[in-house]
Amino acid sequence: MYGGDEVSAMVIDLGSHTCKAGYAGEDAPKAVFPSVVGAIDQMEVDDTEKTENNSGSAVDSKNTVRTLDSEKAKGKRKLFVGSQALGFRRDHMEVLSPIKDGVVVDWDMVDNIWDHAFRECLLIDPKEHPMLLAEPSSNTQQQRERTAELMFEKYKVPALFLAKNAVLTSFASGRATSLVVDCGGGSTTVAPVHDGYVLQKAVASSAIGGEYLSDCLLKSLESKGIMIKPRFSFKRKETRPGEFQTVDMDFPNTTESYRLYSQRVISSDIKECVCRAPDTPYDESAYSNIPMTPYELPDGQTIEIGSDRFKIPDILFNPSLVQTIPGMDNFAEIAPSVRGLPQMVIDSINRCDVDIRRELFSSILLAGGTASMQQLKERLEKDLLEESPQAARVKVLASGNATERRFSVWIGGSILASLGSFQQMWFSKAEYEEHGASYIQRKCP
Amino acid sequence: MDAKDILGLPKNSLPQEKKPRPQKDSQRKPDGISREVYALTGGLAPLMPAIDASQLKKRPPTDEKITWQWLPFTSSARKDNLQLYHWTRVVNSVPPTGDYSFAKYNKSVDVVKYTDEEYEKYLTDPMWTKEETDQLFDLCQRFDLRFIVIADRFPSSRTVEELKDRYYSVSRAMLIARAPSPGDVSGHPLVKEPYNVSQEIERKRALCMVLSQTKHQERKDAEVLAEAKRIAESRMVTRVAEESELPVPSNAAPESAERTSVPGDTVSPSSNVQLPSAAVAPSTATADNASTLASLRMLRVYLRTYALEQMVQAASSSAGLRTIKRVEQTLQELGVNLKPRVPTKLVCAEHLELRKEILTLLNLQKQLQYKEAEGSSFRDGSYADTPGTPKRLYRGGDQDRTFVPDMSFGGERVGKRDQKRKAPGRLSEAPSSPAQSKRPRKFKASDL
Repeated sequence: MYGGDEVSAMVIDLGSHTCKAGYAGEDAPKAVFPSVVGAIDQMEVDDTEKTENNSGSAVDSKNTVRTLDSEKAKGKRKLFVGSQALGFRRDHMEVLSPIKDGVVVDWDMVDNIWDHAFRECLLIDPKEHPMLLAEPSSNTQQQRERTAELMFEKYKVPALFLAKNAVLTSFASGRATSLVVDCGGGSTTVAPVHDGYVLQKAVASSAIGGEYLSDCLLKSLESKGIMIKPRFSFKRKETRPGEFQTVDMDFPNTTESYRLYSQRVISSDIKECVCRAPDTPYDESAYSNIPMTPYELPDGQTIEIGSDRFKIPDILFNPSLVQTIPGMDNFAEIAPSVRGLPQMVIDSINRCDVDIRRELFSSILLAGGTASMQQLKERLEKDLLEESPQAARVKVLASGNATERRFSVWIGGSILASLGSFQQMWFSKAEYEEHGASYIQRKCP
Repeated sequence: MDAKDILGLPKNSLPQEKKPRPQKDSQRKPDGISREVYALTGGLAPLMPAIDASQLKKRPPTDEKITWQWLPFTSSARKDNLQLYHWTRVVNSVPPTGDYSFAKYNKSVDVVKYTDEEYEKYLTDPMWTKEETDQLFDLCQRFDLRFIVIADRFPSSRTVEELKDRYYSVSRAMLIARAPSPGDVSGHPLVKEPYNVSQEIERKRALCMVLSQTKHQERKDAEVLAEAKRIAESRMVTRVAEESELPVPSNAAPESAERTSVPGDTVSPSSNVQLPSAAVAPSTATADNASTLASLRMLRVYLRTYALEQMVQAASSSAGLRTIKRVEQTLQELGVNLKPRVPTKLVCAEHLELRKEILTLLNLQKQLQYKEAEGSSFRDGSYADTPGTPKRLYRGGDQDRTFVPDMSFGGERVGKRDQKRKAPGRLSEAPSSPAQSKRPRKFKASDL
């Protein structure tokens, strides 16, 4: 019954941090690149007003201008997708993300990202391959219809299926019922899956994700006087064999968002290398004398990181810690409703039906890039054992392989699309033409 | 052999010839593999049925040409004619026929379908509108009766129990309505055991309570109960003298039954983590009982049934086992239960009295028999018309003034009185306490 059948389907998972795409049936995605785009508005000469407005101004006004003259502006905007294109600094290039708070706001960018994945990374013709897309666990009907429209109209795929992230993670670990804790780049989502369906009324999500933690780390280091120089802003010259000298370069036309993006790349690397989830809730006094860990920045500077190693991951468990970091004033936006991770797990489970609670407690799955943080699983298990009822057996599962944790959604999609008994569930082009995009609600539950 | 020769019987060499043959067979090597290779296995056939060695050299029949091609396929499980491609094993340029091999796994649940007229006739309900019922059935069809998911996707917030109740009652009504006669479907599980909403709600509530106790609370509870147990034990030590009235824990307090069910629930989902707490739980149950008993004893309350038993035992301690059995036999002959069915004070008192009197009767009878035996040994030699085989004792009429009829008088009276007592025993005014014997008519064995 669980036999496989290759139909050469493609699996695409557009996350808030990275986009993963590849063939179904494989064990890792072939194309992994950041899901942000660099955008340069190339306005024609006759639109001088817009040019003045757009060059060098803040992102907000740009967005409003763009939406006002969306028809004209879209055609004139040049988008750069992919880590290679983003890595190269260009004048006036803004770094924008199509996804805000889990919801797609700019379909043009999404289109470009997919195009890049198909044509440049995977080298396929979308007309020949059925597509399996991973969508957030609480996606709206409108978003799904839009996705279906884009796929069928523009790319003319033969068949499509939209699967929820949590369900795919659950399938990747071989379970039909589990509680999926997805610690991704843009947000953290806790979703219970029962018999292969997400229980939508019990999904909990918070805006604290990997990128938020990187931002916190950046601000924390800045407040301690350590400036992180983005890679484009310096050049290293070899003065003597083995010795380097850093020369600062100035690019006045670099946008702020690009600068921030490059700094974030470095700080997320620091976070991945040195940060560890503490075993007990973070306490300023307890960690004040901790030995510092050295880290070498790309410009040759070596910095020491001490208590931040433990403080930053603890923000996941105790969001109010952010207030102690100077510079993070936008915390007020996401405050008061934000709870720590163990609390979100317990709330989510308590909103489910009583009969399945025990089973959910004993199969809690960790997924996402941020879940590869060291000691996160142990700390979560310990916190949950404290707060959970005694009658339930708490078990947090995470695959040992860091790649599997990062790509667990994609891997689940790969498994699903290559099952023989799945081939009857595709939403085909004929059905789309017959019933319209709203039929997707029925076909992809 | 010579004897057979003499008799002229044929020489029987058949069974003897067969024996060496099977032995020889195992030493020959099987075909298909060389002798040396076979010797590697030790010269014995393997225990498990291995691949037949001759098959190893078999090649696929050369007349078939097998290629693998990327061909389209359709599946009967799909309603449209989507053609996906996959690799197929093509034999002699003939692609395989038949349905998609995974189409047979497309199973779904048979959800009952009703028409509008049927709805109007049988299925209307004040709590449910037609649209909601239609929506419910649509979701049931889509999600294959996974009620938890259906409750999650249902537009208005109804609980799982309400949805299940509506679905099962509708299905049941349709089943009964469509059946040609009620007898046909009475065996159907839906008709035999209808869905019990209140029980489900109660069960879920209890489960919820079990699961909502956090470890913190459990620890506090355990501490409090351990403290109570300590106090109860210290009290028990001081009240050793009243141990005879100790009720058995299993009889005690139905109120502790509920508490035992909660630790019972925690014990049953067994796991190593729960062992320390489970060890606490049964001891808390007994601690509960002990504290309950301690408090009860303080109020001078005891359980009558056991008190009665104790007293019966005390009363019959002087008698042997056989006597006790005879007492019980007599009770049964008289039609009295061995243990009174309604153990009120009056009934228990009467029962005890009855038992004592029967005991007295039996004792007296035994005494009489001894005396009779003595008397008969005297009678052999003497002429005296001492009356009274024991049989005469039970006849009514004139009582002789010898001491034997005196006994008969008493014995008969006892017998009569017992039978008279049996019926109005519960209604008569009885003395307040069984310990006080105010009956002047009673004959004690010690009177003799």
